[in-house]
Amino acid sequence: MVPLVLYVLLASTMFVVGLYGLMTQRNGIKLMMCVEILLNSANINLVAFSAHLPNVDGQVFALFSIALAAAEAGVGFAILILLYRLYGTIELDNINALRW
Amino acid sequence: MYSDYAYLIVGLPILAFVLTIFLGWHLPKGGGFITVLATIGALILSVGIFKEIFPTDTIVHQSAHWFANFNVGILIDPLAIVMLLMVSFVCTMIHIFALGYMDGDPGLARYFAEAGLFTAAMLGLVFSDNLLQLFIFWELVGVCSYLLIGFWYRKPCAASAAKKAFLVTRVGDIMFLAGMILLYTNMAKLGLPEGTYLLQFQTIYENLVHLPSGQMTAIALLIFGGAVGKSGQFPLHVWLPDAMEGPTTVSAMIHAATMVTAGVYLVARMFPLFYAAPNALMVVAYIGGFTAFFAATMGLVMFDIKRVLAYSTISQLGYMMLSLGAGAAVGAAAVGVGIFHLVGHSFFKALLFLCAGSVIHAVDTNDMREMGGVLRSMKWTGLTMLAGALALVGFPLTTGFYSKDEILVAAFENGLYGLGWLPYAFGAVTVLLTAVYSFRLWFTTFDGEPRTDYGKHESPWVMVGPLVILAICALFMGYPTQDTFYDYVGNNFDHYGVDFDELAVVGGHHIEHEAAHEPFIIKILPIILCVGGILIAALFYSRWKKLDPGIVTSKNDPLRKIVLRRYYQHEIYTGWLAEKVVYGLALVSNVFDLKIVDGAVNKISKLTVGLGGNVRRVQTGVIQNYITAIVLGLTVLLVVVKLGMEVAI
Repeated sequence: MVPLVLYVLLASTMFVVGLYGLMTQRNGIKLMMCVEILLNSANINLVAFSAHLPNVDGQVFALFSIALAAAEAGVGFAILILLYRLYGTIELDNINALRW
Repeated sequence: MYSDYAYLIVGLPILAFVLTIFLGWHLPKGGGFITVLATIGALILSVGIFKEIFPTDTIVHQSAHWFANFNVGILIDPLAIVMLLMVSFVCTMIHIFALGYMDGDPGLARYFAEAGLFTAAMLGLVFSDNLLQLFIFWELVGVCSYLLIGFWYRKPCAASAAKKAFLVTRVGDIMFLAGMILLYTNMAKLGLPEGTYLLQFQTIYENLVHLPSGQMTAIALLIFGGAVGKSGQFPLHVWLPDAMEGPTTVSAMIHAATMVTAGVYLVARMFPLFYAAPNALMVVAYIGGFTAFFAATMGLVMFDIKRVLAYSTISQLGYMMLSLGAGAAVGAAAVGVGIFHLVGHSFFKALLFLCAGSVIHAVDTNDMREMGGVLRSMKWTGLTMLAGALALVGFPLTTGFYSKDEILVAAFENGLYGLGWLPYAFGAVTVLLTAVYSFRLWFTTFDGEPRTDYGKHESPWVMVGPLVILAICALFMGYPTQDTFYDYVGNNFDHYGVDFDELAVVGGHHIEHEAAHEPFIIKILPIILCVGGILIAALFYSRWKKLDPGIVTSKNDPLRKIVLRRYYQHEIYTGWLAEKVVYGLALVSNVFDLKIVDGAVNKISKLTVGLGGNVRRVQTGVIQNYITAIVLGLTVLLVVVKLGMEVAI
């Protein structure tokens, strides 16, 4: 039996990695990946605590979250493809038509 | 029974206004007959009410609550009924005349609609039972006057004359409004029972003795200011001659017979107030006398037939004011005298204007120098105009004779009581001037040889008919009615229990009313002056011409120049007052508006924009910055919550 604290450590590490990625990267696809990492760190937490307290609610919740993440990724990549067609780049710094 | 339908006196012309303005375009003659019928209806109602209240010596008073301390109401007392009869009768005559005179004008329906509205407003002004309602109708007749002067609005001079009339009378109206407000505040201070209508005439009359004397003088002068504007008294008379740009029927109706007399009516209506403020009354007498003289001198030199009549109107209105001003000496009888002259004047001046209209209709010019010998082709018009002129100069036994005589006697008594001989002197000299300019007008127009090739034909019967009726009134109305009239209208204020002796104490009059006894010469002088004036005019202008005007004046005579330029009023009012004083004030206000009012608003908006411009730099559009901010914020929040929890524990 793996102790709970290891799961939480893993989740925290993933969260920080994702956050770091979000804060430093400019590429749209990399940002999407970082968001996925953030989301999955939360999912790991949910499943870990669900196993720790015998309660399946957390796992159901994680399943929903994965489905939502898939939808979000679909929409996100569609937007990125359109942006690429329009600007020829997905470097988000260059996409600033509505900025002041 | 007629008095139950008193509201229809105003209602019928209003109905005519609504009908003609919406449907007039589709009716023959622009629906003019509707306005005529409505005015006849108002006349019949007025006559009916007169027959009810005259023998029994009662008054009709109907009143309804409006709001707060104000009511709407109908008050028909002797003063109001004679005005109602006069206005509805003269307006009927003029509307009938207009059916012929205005025929073929493309704006016919508009003319009759506005004329109907004017009739309604004027009748409403006369029978109002409180000052506020009177003021509303007062403004309404002003608007109608504006609309009708500018009836031919495509002519620039007509449009600007309309504007001038509106703006100049506005100066007076503001004073009237101020006087009304001052009166209201003073009445409110008296502590009358809750729900008393403070501006109702009856309430005003009853409480005059309680008002402070200085305030009353101020109120009376302010209200007189309104009358000065409306009745074309010096110095606000400048709009009236220019108002002749409108159709002649309008000049006859509004600027001779009815609307311009509203000012006189107002002073007569508020006479007890003026009586209690003798200084104001003195101002009325002086302004009236001076205006009578001043306008008559300008009437002497005008060549436009309508402008001569316009100055004559101003002059006669001055007489009416003079007679009311002499009320300090003769008491409430002054009201009877002044209103008698007002009624007589509306007959003969409406007649004169309509005759002038008839001549202009045929000859197609306003300039008397282009007429001459018109009597040959226009017998009826010429003879009725002669009747009007005789009444105007006060030829013995005509209507004008009786009233003018009484006014001069009143003015003489005014002098006798040490209130100044100047008004009487002005009045007496004006009799001579009136005779000269009236017959100068008549002789140059109708006598002699035609000076240009003008249209020679008599006007249709629809125009001549009213002339004949008015001429009969102008000649013969005076003698049979005068004594009854003086009594009936002079005792108007007895119905309200106005005690003039008590008011005399308030006003500080020290006058024995019986002592008056004027020498015979005063009675006979007006006749001598008027016949002399006619003879002078005949010598200079008629076919028996013996003298040339050149012997009195020459081209370079400075006096002639001054009078011809109308005493440089235009230069003073427009050139100096409007363009220097008012324009200067406007410039100062403009600077105030731009720098201070606009400046403050602009400063505030600039500040907001600047602040926003600085703050928007936070919105970089770089997602990483946002995330960094969120994470930092979250961290701080977590630390704070954690510390907070530890402190709590």
